[in-house]
Amino acid sequence: MTAIDVKARVVDSVCPYCGVGCALSWVVDTERNRILEARGRDGAANEGRLCVKGRYGFDYTTHAHRLTKPLIRREDAYPKGALSWDDNGPRRPGGPVDPETVLPHFREATWEEALERVGQGLRGIRDAHGGDALAGFGSAKGSNEEAYLFQKLVRAGFGTNNVDHCTRLCHASSVAALLEGIGSGGVTNIVRDIERADVALITGCNPTENHPVAATFMKDAAANGTELLVVNTRRPRIADYAAMYLEIRPGTDVAFYNAMMHVIINEGLTDDAFIAARTENFEAIRENVQEYSPESVAELVGVDAERITEAARRFGRANAAMLFWGMGISQHTHGTDNARCLIALAMITGNTGRPGTGLHPLRGQNNVQGASDAGLIPMMYPDYQKVSDSGARARFEALWGRSLSPEPGRTVTEITDGALDGTIRGMYILGENPFVSDPDVEKVRKALGTLEFLVVQDIFLTETAEFADVILPGSAFAEKTGTVTNTDRRVQVGRQALQPPGESRQDWQIICDIAERIGYPMRYPDVSAVFDEFAAATGSYAGLSHEVLGDRGRWYPCPDPEHSEGEPIVFEETFPRGRALLVPARQSPPVEATDAAYPLVLNTGRVLEHWHTGTMTRRSAALHGISPEGFVEIHPDDAAAYGVADGGWVEVTSRRGHIRIRARLRDRVARGSVFIPMHFREACANVLTHPAVDPVGKIPAFKYCAVRLEPVVAEDRA
Amino acid sequence: MTDTVSLTIDDQAVEVPVGTTIWDAARSLGIDIPVLCHSTRMRPVGVCRMCVVDTGVRNLQASCVRPCEEGMAVYTDSEKVRRNRRMLLELLLADYPAPGNREATTGDDELLALARDYGVEHSRFQASASAAPAPVDDSSPVIVVDHAACILCDRCIRGCDELQHNDVMTRSGKGAATHIAFDLDVPMGESTCVACGECQAVCPTGALTNRSLHGLHVLAEDRE
Repeated sequence: MTAIDVKARVVDSVCPYCGVGCALSWVVDTERNRILEARGRDGAANEGRLCVKGRYGFDYTTHAHRLTKPLIRREDAYPKGALSWDDNGPRRPGGPVDPETVLPHFREATWEEALERVGQGLRGIRDAHGGDALAGFGSAKGSNEEAYLFQKLVRAGFGTNNVDHCTRLCHASSVAALLEGIGSGGVTNIVRDIERADVALITGCNPTENHPVAATFMKDAAANGTELLVVNTRRPRIADYAAMYLEIRPGTDVAFYNAMMHVIINEGLTDDAFIAARTENFEAIRENVQEYSPESVAELVGVDAERITEAARRFGRANAAMLFWGMGISQHTHGTDNARCLIALAMITGNTGRPGTGLHPLRGQNNVQGASDAGLIPMMYPDYQKVSDSGARARFEALWGRSLSPEPGRTVTEITDGALDGTIRGMYILGENPFVSDPDVEKVRKALGTLEFLVVQDIFLTETAEFADVILPGSAFAEKTGTVTNTDRRVQVGRQALQPPGESRQDWQIICDIAERIGYPMRYPDVSAVFDEFAAATGSYAGLSHEVLGDRGRWYPCPDPEHSEGEPIVFEETFPRGRALLVPARQSPPVEATDAAYPLVLNTGRVLEHWHTGTMTRRSAALHGISPEGFVEIHPDDAAAYGVADGGWVEVTSRRGHIRIRARLRDRVARGSVFIPMHFREACANVLTHPAVDPVGKIPAFKYCAVRLEPVVAEDRA
Repeated sequence: MTDTVSLTIDDQAVEVPVGTTIWDAARSLGIDIPVLCHSTRMRPVGVCRMCVVDTGVRNLQASCVRPCEEGMAVYTDSEKVRRNRRMLLELLLADYPAPGNREATTGDDELLALARDYGVEHSRFQASASAAPAPVDDSSPVIVVDHAACILCDRCIRGCDELQHNDVMTRSGKGAATHIAFDLDVPMGESTCVACGECQAVCPTGALTNRSLHGLHVLAEDRE
């Protein structure tokens, strides 16, 4: 075998996938503009460790499906609709959108023509119907700089606060509860602080698959004596390392945590000094939890009263106890209530502000923390300054040179509703794929098809781009420089390793190009200047710059970045709102209870090898090779009752639609529940999910809807 | 106050906390003792014996696991030590499929680099004629396992079980048939391996390498 000689360059960057924020180096073949290998770097969050996505999931950057030229929808491709959606199913091999199906409906255009078209489309709607007829979805996969520019464009250029992103779909309820309770949405303690915890409650998350490298530090801690209390509805692998695994019934979180607090309060395991000095409204919690004795909730929750009591005692007696949670807490119509309970649990036991304690909602996307910090939220400017606060508004009006709307904007799901009722007429979507990621895709499909003008900026033809008037080819993470903020509040610089292919451009430049075309020029010499403007507009990022962040980054806040790594633990003395507000929550019924017609609870989520709608990971040879298709996980006893075999095709139906998918028999799911990963468009879990949202966080209930399941007989599939 | 011990390493005086290994103490003086099995990211296990040093006692000591003692006079690079390392290298190279997949692709095979440093160009030993050739396990979509290039340093096992806690890898077999194994000695691609790649990242030889690099020869790595 003759080896091919390659000249390599090593570029230090950050993993583009999850919120753990692993530092890595890419070995780059500069001549062929491709990454050859990813190596773990000694980052604050990963100490050289990586998972399969960071280590092997980089080859999507050079996939043949990359968009390399601006595209304009052909005249004969109207009225708009999905172009590839029906082009699949069990008989089809599946996989991401096939450009051969979609590209004939578009023609290639110059940047000049495409941008002019975007300018006309957005300007026309703004000038005729007002800025509130426009909306933008930014992305938690973009950098802080991109997020800042995007919301600035929407707020100052479009003239509306209708800007949101996928945080709405993941931790909006956690953030709502944290802002209400302590006045800050970020984590109080970094993941690796678990090393110093006596007890760690790990609930509603599956870190070994979704935050794999963080999970390795949780397992390190367990091996060194930290007791893990794992609570879930579907057994996560981290339960193998737990002192106690408590499997609660779906949607009974509030009852469970109220019962834990019942024990802690009634057995005197509270930290009374902390309650007196740092909290308010404790009496309301005490009163509220009285009716939630372990005995009274045991049947509802599905856990014996003795075990609830034991978990409460372990948590209450710990000197330092820490809480981690994920989408299993947040993605419910009572997601905010779930998070309120966790906050109260930490506060009544005095578990914040010290090593090994605190609240850690595990962030999903690599930059969901930063995108929120940068203001991709309809009711907040950068750094959570409220758009309704006239002082904040005046500051941003001065900075951005435009008068700004005082009205909080619409959220992701409200924007969908707005498109359907005609109040939202035009959209700019950057790097999001709501057609697959949002609940009830049939509804999203109608909404996207109704828009007068849609511009989508992405690196691949997504299902969402099929509805676009103009598609702009952006750049992959490895093709640009910018900062991302991980789940620990660590701000790290991702550095450009590759050139954007063809005529594709860096996303921050495209945002500025669009701004120019709608009469709101935003000009910067380079991307670090964007960061400087953003950082100066915030308290949290003040003092940071690309230069000072260097190769290792800093935890914000970091008042002295020359000499300090920043703050791994915050709120030692006081919370941003002063005292923590304890908010009692009451167990509420699910939005769609199971019944005879739809007897199973559907839970959705992710698998280790894939990322969200799969646009990146399904185009990685290694990741696709390991995990090529969707599945519905069902308990073997339920499967036997329905006559379903392992690997057999089944039809899963909810009140919103049905999908065909292979069954996977696993006893990690509870009887009466099924689990479907969200990544696979040909068996799209969000065809089934319910669009109802949490009243406070506006987050959809991805973790709970009622479905039924039937085996598909062979002839049906022919 | 931590209790400390004082000693000399290559005639340089050093004072370290009780329990510090000779390897770590030497490193604090800027003395680089060669290793194959040890890594600063891992618990030392002392299996490869490349890091042996002369402490004046009857046999040489593996510095990665040997704690410093008061008054010790350690020599890390004496002729006795170097002769010992050369012998070890010859033994390891006896059945090594040079250049192997790591040297052929990224050129950073640690065993071959040490052999060059110590001037070991060939081995006087031969693999046992009766031993079956160690197989190549090509079953993983991302990593190729060449058992013939494995020196049983245990880094992959510690990477899998102690860094990543995936608990997939172990040793299997006895004597000359000892080999690294996945789960109950099934092919890597059929095991519960989650493909984190830690084993490949810590492997010092061509035993565990990234499939994506095979067929390439990476010439130089300019750092940014």
